[in-house]
Amino acid sequence: MRKQKDEPIDMLQGTLDLLILRTLLFGPIHGHAIAKSIERTSQDVLRVDHGSLYPALQRLERRGSITAEWGTSENNRRARYYRLTAAGRKQLTAETGKWECLTEAIARILNPNREGA
Amino acid sequence: MRWWSELKYLVRKLNRKRAEQELEEEIRLHMEMETREKIADGLSWEEAQYAARRAFGSVALATEDSRAWWGFRILEELWQDLHYGARMLMKQPGFTLVVVVTLALGIGANTAILSFMDSLLLRSLPVSDPTSLGVLNWRAPSGSGRDSVIHRGSGNIWRDGPSTRMSGIFPYPAFELIRTNSAAVFSTVFAYYPTGNVNVMAKGQAELGSGEFVSGDYFRGLAVLPSAGRLIIPDDDRVDAPAVAVLSYAYSQRRFGDAASAPGQSILINNIPFSVAGVAPPGFFGVDPAAAPDFYVPLRTNLLLRLRGGANDPKDYLEQNYYWLEMMARLRPGVSLSQAQAALGPVFHQWVNATANDRERAQLPELMIREGATGLDTLRRQYSKPLYVLLALVALILAIACANIANLLLTRATARRREMAVRLSMGAGRLRLIRQLLTESVLLASIGGAVGVLFAMWAIRFLTFLLANGGEDFTLRPELNWSVLGAASALALLTGILFGLAPALQATRVDVIPALKGAQAGQPGSRYGFGRISLSQALVVTQIGLSLLMLVAAGLFVRTLSNLQSIQLGFNREDLLLFTLNARQAGHKDPEIITFYSELQKRFGAIPGVRSASSTHHQMIGQGTESGDAAPVGKQPKPGFSTHILMTGPDFFSTMQIPVLLGRALDDRDRPGSLAVAVVSEAYVKTYFPDQNPLGQHISISRRPPLKDRDVEIVGVAANARYGDLKGAFRDIVYLPFNQGSYYPVDEMTFALRSSGDPLRYVNTVREIVRQADPRVPVTDVKTQAAQIDQTMNQEIIFARLGAAFAVLALLIACVGLYGTMAYTVARRTGEIGIRMALGAQRGAVVWMVLREVFALAAVGLAAGVPSALGASRFVESFLFEVKPNSPATLVFAVAILLSAVLLAGYAPARKASRIDPMTAVRHE
Repeated sequence: MRKQKDEPIDMLQGTLDLLILRTLLFGPIHGHAIAKSIERTSQDVLRVDHGSLYPALQRLERRGSITAEWGTSENNRRARYYRLTAAGRKQLTAETGKWECLTEAIARILNPNREGA
Repeated sequence: MRWWSELKYLVRKLNRKRAEQELEEEIRLHMEMETREKIADGLSWEEAQYAARRAFGSVALATEDSRAWWGFRILEELWQDLHYGARMLMKQPGFTLVVVVTLALGIGANTAILSFMDSLLLRSLPVSDPTSLGVLNWRAPSGSGRDSVIHRGSGNIWRDGPSTRMSGIFPYPAFELIRTNSAAVFSTVFAYYPTGNVNVMAKGQAELGSGEFVSGDYFRGLAVLPSAGRLIIPDDDRVDAPAVAVLSYAYSQRRFGDAASAPGQSILINNIPFSVAGVAPPGFFGVDPAAAPDFYVPLRTNLLLRLRGGANDPKDYLEQNYYWLEMMARLRPGVSLSQAQAALGPVFHQWVNATANDRERAQLPELMIREGATGLDTLRRQYSKPLYVLLALVALILAIACANIANLLLTRATARRREMAVRLSMGAGRLRLIRQLLTESVLLASIGGAVGVLFAMWAIRFLTFLLANGGEDFTLRPELNWSVLGAASALALLTGILFGLAPALQATRVDVIPALKGAQAGQPGSRYGFGRISLSQALVVTQIGLSLLMLVAAGLFVRTLSNLQSIQLGFNREDLLLFTLNARQAGHKDPEIITFYSELQKRFGAIPGVRSASSTHHQMIGQGTESGDAAPVGKQPKPGFSTHILMTGPDFFSTMQIPVLLGRALDDRDRPGSLAVAVVSEAYVKTYFPDQNPLGQHISISRRPPLKDRDVEIVGVAANARYGDLKGAFRDIVYLPFNQGSYYPVDEMTFALRSSGDPLRYVNTVREIVRQADPRVPVTDVKTQAAQIDQTMNQEIIFARLGAAFAVLALLIACVGLYGTMAYTVARRTGEIGIRMALGAQRGAVVWMVLREVFALAAVGLAAGVPSALGASRFVESFLFEVKPNSPATLVFAVAILLSAVLLAGYAPARKASRIDPMTAVRHE
C-alpha cells in the first residue's frame, strides 16, 4: 500500500479502514450510507469528512478487501455498492483484534491500579 | 492472492477517463443524497447544498487522493518528469545539441571499445556447450634452454611471468597417454595444429590458403554438424586412409561458389590430391579465435604433405621429446576442470619424468587444464592490453565530457533559480525536484547514448580497419550484441546521474524569497565546494588534470612512434615493391626451382620503370629471421650472438641500396659450381674479426643431417642492415647466394623491385609475368616495403594517432569548459569589476585579475595532474620505445601545451572584462 506523504497520521488511516470494513460486515452498501452509518453508530462522536472515505475505499479496493459495483439505491438512483470479500473479512478480524489489544494496553497505562480491566 | 486482486484493480483503472468519470459520478450522487437528506431535515435547497458540501470536505482533495491509488506513483511521476524534461530540452536546442553530441562521442567511443573487449574476452566458441571444453597446457620454469625436456619444438611457447613459461604443444605420445588415461574425466580428447600457408589448387585456380591438421575426434569433440557432406572421423586419421579434407563454409563458397557443391570435388594441396569430404557449418572457425582455417585435414596427412613444422615423418609420432601437437578435451558431465587436472596431472608428471634426464628433471613441465569455452589465448594475448589502454583513454574523455556538462548544467541551474523557487514555494518537495532534474539529465544522457550507439557502429568499423593492419585474416569481429548494448545503456545512465547529481542538488538549494523577488547575480557563488573552491571551479580543475594525463600519454606515444620511424634501416625503403612466390608448393623441385626463380628475377628486372630487382629467401622485415650456426672455420660460435642467414639473388645490395664496405657484392659470377661465397655484415665482422681483414676468410655453415656443413669464402662486407626486428642492435648476418646450395634448399622467394615512382603500379605486370611462367604459382603478400614496415609498427601508429586525437579532443573540451566558466564568472562579477574600474583600476589590472584566477585553476589542475600522470604512465611502459614513462621532456612539453591552451581560453573573457564600461556595469546592479 502506498503511503501518501501529506496524509494524516497512520493510526487514523488504519482506523478509518477498520470502521469501513466493520460497516460492510452486514451486506453491501454505498458510500453515502457508510458515512451515515459511521456517524450514527458512533452517536455522532466520530465526524469524518465524507470526502476522506473515498480515498479509503480506493485503498481497500486495491488491497482486495472490498469489491465495488454499480447498482440501484433505495430511491431508484444509481449508486456504487461496496461489498466485503473473504480477504476483507480476515483483515477485519485481524485489525479488530489489534485494535482491542491496543486499547487495552493504553487503558492499563492510564489506569495502573485497575488490575485485570 | 492479494497481488492478483491488486493487478486486476490496476488494470481496471488503466482506462483513466472512465475511472475519473465514475468517481466524479459517484461523488456527485453522494452529494445529491446528502442534499436530499438535509432538505428532508428542513433546510432550504441552497442551505442543504452548502451543508452537504461542508460535510463532504474538499472534493478536489478527495478526487486527488483517490486518483493516487490508481497507479504507481513513481511511474506516473517519472512519466511527468520525462515529458517536462523533453520540453525543457527542446526549448534550448543549442545547449541540447552540444551536450548530445559530446555525449554521443564519449559514450559511442566507449561502446565501440567495449564491444571489442566483449568479442575478445567473452565470446564463446560457436560449438555446443563450450563451457565443458578444456584446453591442455603445460607450465615449466624457464631455465636454460639446454636443460629442457623439449629437445625440439614447433609452435608457440610464451612467457608466463618472470620465471615460467607456458605452452600448448605436446609430443604425440603424450596425446596417446591422455587419451588412454582420461576415460573417467573426459568424454573426448582431440588434437590439432595449424598447417601454415600452403598452395591450394581448386577448379584450376591456385591460391594460398591455410588450414588445420585435426585428429579423428576433433569434430566429434567439438560436437558440430556439417553443412554439407561429412566431417572428419577417426577412420580418416589412419596412415593409409584416402586423403580427405573438410572446407570451411566461407572457403567452400569462395572456391566452389556454394557449399553444397564442394563435397566430392578434388583439390590439390601443395600438389597432393585431396578429396573434399564435406563443409563445416557457417560461423565455425575451429578453436582459435585468432585464425579461421580454410580447411581441415586429418592429422596423418602431414606425412603426405611434409610441411615445415609439426610432424612430417612417422618417427615424429614416436618422439617423446619433440613437442608439436595441441590438445583439447570435453569434460564428462559433472566433472570440473580442477577434478580433471587432479586426475591427469600425476599421470602426465610420471610420463614426462620418464622422458627426462637428471638435469632436465629440475624443470619438468606440469600439466594444466584450462577453460576452453572462449578458445585459445592467442588473440587475447595480442590485443587485450592495447584494448585496455584504449579503454582507459576513452573513459578519461567521457569523464572530462561529464565534468564539462556538469558545469554547463550548473550554469543553467542558476538561470532556473526562479523556476525552482516557484515550485518549492508551491509545495514541491526538494527530493521530488531533484528527481525531476535527474530525470532530465538521464534523458539527455539517453539521447546521447542512443546517438552514441550509431557513432559506435562507425567507430567499430574504423577501429577494425586500424587494427586489421591491412591483413586479410583479422578475425576479431566485434558486434553490438545485447550485452554490449546493455553496457552502453548502463554507461548512459551512469553518466546522466554523474553529471546531473551535483547540479540538481545545487539547483534546488534555493533561497525562495530572494529568488522570487528576482534578485540579480550579486549573489555569492555556489555554496557547494571544498573550502574556498566552488564546485564549478573544482570541475574545471578536474578537467585540466585529466587533460594533462591524456597529453602526457599522447606525448609518450607520439615520441615512441617517431623513435621507431627514425630507426636506421640500413637500406632504402622507398619505392620498393615486395611480393612472395612459393614455387615448391606448386610442384617445382631442385634444381629446376633455382633456374625458375633466377629467370623470374631477370624478367622482373627488365620491366620498364623498374630500376632493379632482387630476391631473398626470407622477408627482411616482419617475419623474424632465419638463424643458424655460421661461425668462421676454426672458431666457436660466440654464445649470445646468433648468426642470421639470408639467401639472396644477384643485385641484392644494389637493389636494396646497402653499401658494400669491403670487397664485392653477390652477383652473376656466383653460380652453382663456382666458388662458394658469402658476404657478411659489419656486425658479423665486429663479432668474429674485430682486428682482422675478413676478406678471404672462410665460414662454416652448419646444417642438419642429411646435409653436411658447408664451407664458404667471405668476398665482401656490407654495411649493417635490419633483418627481422626493427628494434635492438644490428644483427650478425651472413648473405649467401641462393643458387649455390650453401644453405637449405629454397622454398619461397620474396622479390623486391626498386621502381621509379609508385611501386604498386607494377603489380599487374608482375602477376602477368608469373602467370606466363607458371599459372600454378600464386603471387602473395604484395605490398610496398614502406607499407610493410608500417605494418610492424601498427600498434604504435594506432596509439600515437588515437592518443594524439584524444588528447586534442580532451584539451578542447577542457578549454571550452574553462572559457565558459570564466565567461560566466566575469558576467557574474560585472558589477564588481565596474566598480573597480570606476575607482581607477587599469584595464591591464582587470585582465590580470581574471587571468590570475585562470592560472590558479590551472595550477591546482597541474598539481593534481602531474603526480597522476607520473603514476599512470607506468602502465603503458610496455608500449613505449626508447622513451621513459616518466620522461621529463614529455611532461614539460605537455604542461607547456596545456598552459598555452588555458591561457588562450582564459584570455577572451579577460579581455571582455577589461572592456566593461563602468557606467553600464554599475547601473546593471
